[in-house]
Amino acid sequence: MTAAVEFLTVSRHFGTVKAVDGVDLTIAEGSFFAMLGPSGSGKTTCLRLISGFEKPTGGTIRIFGEDVSNTPPHLRNVNTVFQDYALFPHLNVRDNVAYGLMVKGMGRTARHAKAEEMLALVKLDGYGDRKPAQLSGGQRQRVALARALVNEPRVLLLDEPLGALDLKLREAMQDELKALQKRLGLTFVFVTHDQHEALSMADRLAVFNEGRIAQIGTPQDIYDRPATRFVADFVGSSNVLPPELTRALGGPTQWASLRPEATQLAATGPVQGTVTALRYLGSGTRVVIDAGGTEIAALVPAGQPVPAEGATTAFAFDPAALHLMEGS
Amino acid sequence: MRSEASWGLKLAALGGLLFLHLPILLIFLYAFTTEERSYAFPPPGYTTEWFAVAWNRQDIWPPLWLSLRVAAIATVMAMILGTLAAAAMARASFFGRDQVSLLILLPIALPGVITGMSLRSAFGIMDIPFSTWTIVLGHATFCIVIVYNNAIARMRRLSGGIMEASADLGANSFQTFRHVLLPNLGSALLAGGMLAFALSFDEVIVTTFTAGQQSTLPIWMLNELVRPRQRPVTNVVAIVVFAATFVPILIAYYLTRGGSETAGMGK
Repeated sequence: MTAAVEFLTVSRHFGTVKAVDGVDLTIAEGSFFAMLGPSGSGKTTCLRLISGFEKPTGGTIRIFGEDVSNTPPHLRNVNTVFQDYALFPHLNVRDNVAYGLMVKGMGRTARHAKAEEMLALVKLDGYGDRKPAQLSGGQRQRVALARALVNEPRVLLLDEPLGALDLKLREAMQDELKALQKRLGLTFVFVTHDQHEALSMADRLAVFNEGRIAQIGTPQDIYDRPATRFVADFVGSSNVLPPELTRALGGPTQWASLRPEATQLAATGPVQGTVTALRYLGSGTRVVIDAGGTEIAALVPAGQPVPAEGATTAFAFDPAALHLMEGS
Repeated sequence: MRSEASWGLKLAALGGLLFLHLPILLIFLYAFTTEERSYAFPPPGYTTEWFAVAWNRQDIWPPLWLSLRVAAIATVMAMILGTLAAAAMARASFFGRDQVSLLILLPIALPGVITGMSLRSAFGIMDIPFSTWTIVLGHATFCIVIVYNNAIARMRRLSGGIMEASADLGANSFQTFRHVLLPNLGSALLAGGMLAFALSFDEVIVTTFTAGQQSTLPIWMLNELVRPRQRPVTNVVAIVVFAATFVPILIAYYLTRGGSETAGMGK
């Protein structure tokens, strides 16, 4: 099977700034792929390299096997849902959605029918006559989605599409986007700085750091086996152990990660610490222990005794759960 | 809480407004006077005959026609060049951008006498005979600035994303210009064009340096005022000039007042 999108050692340098630096990437057809990273990590530049708004300064980009490194945006069969939606303020919702069909020369009746179909798909039937200024943020987002999908792109790019929405709406849209992607069988490439969003929505994700991919894999790979200390820190929720602590716990002198679920409290152990915070989660209690400057979180299942704040405790874990990683 | 202004301040404000606008009313009044040699107040009698006289005076039509032609050509030139300049300044960033921006704005800050003198000597050096085009060139220098200012203000307000969105959806540069940029700039360009037209139509200073023997309407009026015969005809023409410049400015004001509102839908 041909990959939907392929990067072969792609770079995009702006003068001395290496926004994207030697990235290799394969995005399978029909997958929901997330690009995750802090701002300035190169994820958005990668998206713009796929849409064609940036040209690579090195390497090759292929979309469905075709080299598009020098193809301008309007000739690529990919469409983008922009971060600020970028709806046309002078057109009503129907004409916004029909825009792509209009510039291809489709007649008014046909393109309006198609636009209404798309509006129904994103549950905005009956909104065709409104102007974008009369819509809420969530509705604008759906119009942007319909406008991109009407062109039947083979790859849909989404640039932090949920960033501007409030929490409740964002969660609803996450489910909806995921359902839509399954239903249409399209390849979605999704840029976000929100690790929870990336982990919960993507089939595969790439974690970006300083213009390079730090790790690429399934959400489970990234979460359970972060390749580098950066990934473990950025994805969060795992305990990051510096080399000395790993050795003190019986491992090699190397950075390691340890999931809170795999960490239990114990009466005795090689490393002891002070309980600094307790958080009740319903299914258990998250206990944070200060072990000589490093914070270690442990999950105590419901029904088991929880130490008081300030108490001294040791901890234990299944050695198989200790995951070694690179320090950078 | 709104505070009430004192009577003194109110009177001063009223006085100021009257001082500014009463002379204009007097101009209108004297278009209807029966006395043709001097502006005696109050006018000895009232008549509308000067409108008929003005209509039949053959020497009014060539200057009027010249003024309209010059204003129209200068406006079209300004709209094309001003829009292009604004597009370049809004989109690109290059070395010396701020300096170029200042150079574009300079003609409107420069006294008309300086612009006029420099153009006249340039035409002299290059052996260019005075014609409609020399007047047009003089007017275009400040008309471009008007259009440029209107266009760049609107472009800065437009989200840059909509141009990318248009390209992303398959539009080439021309389609993006036609379907996205133009409809969003439309009212700003129209307003700029109207202001430019009004400014050009009643311009005197630069025109005196670049017209040679030709008379535009304002210059014709200036010459006419020193002659003692049929004076009210000049006032009739003044009403025409007033209408030709005031109405476009009023329209321009209403077009740009709303801010985000844009007129017209592109197709």
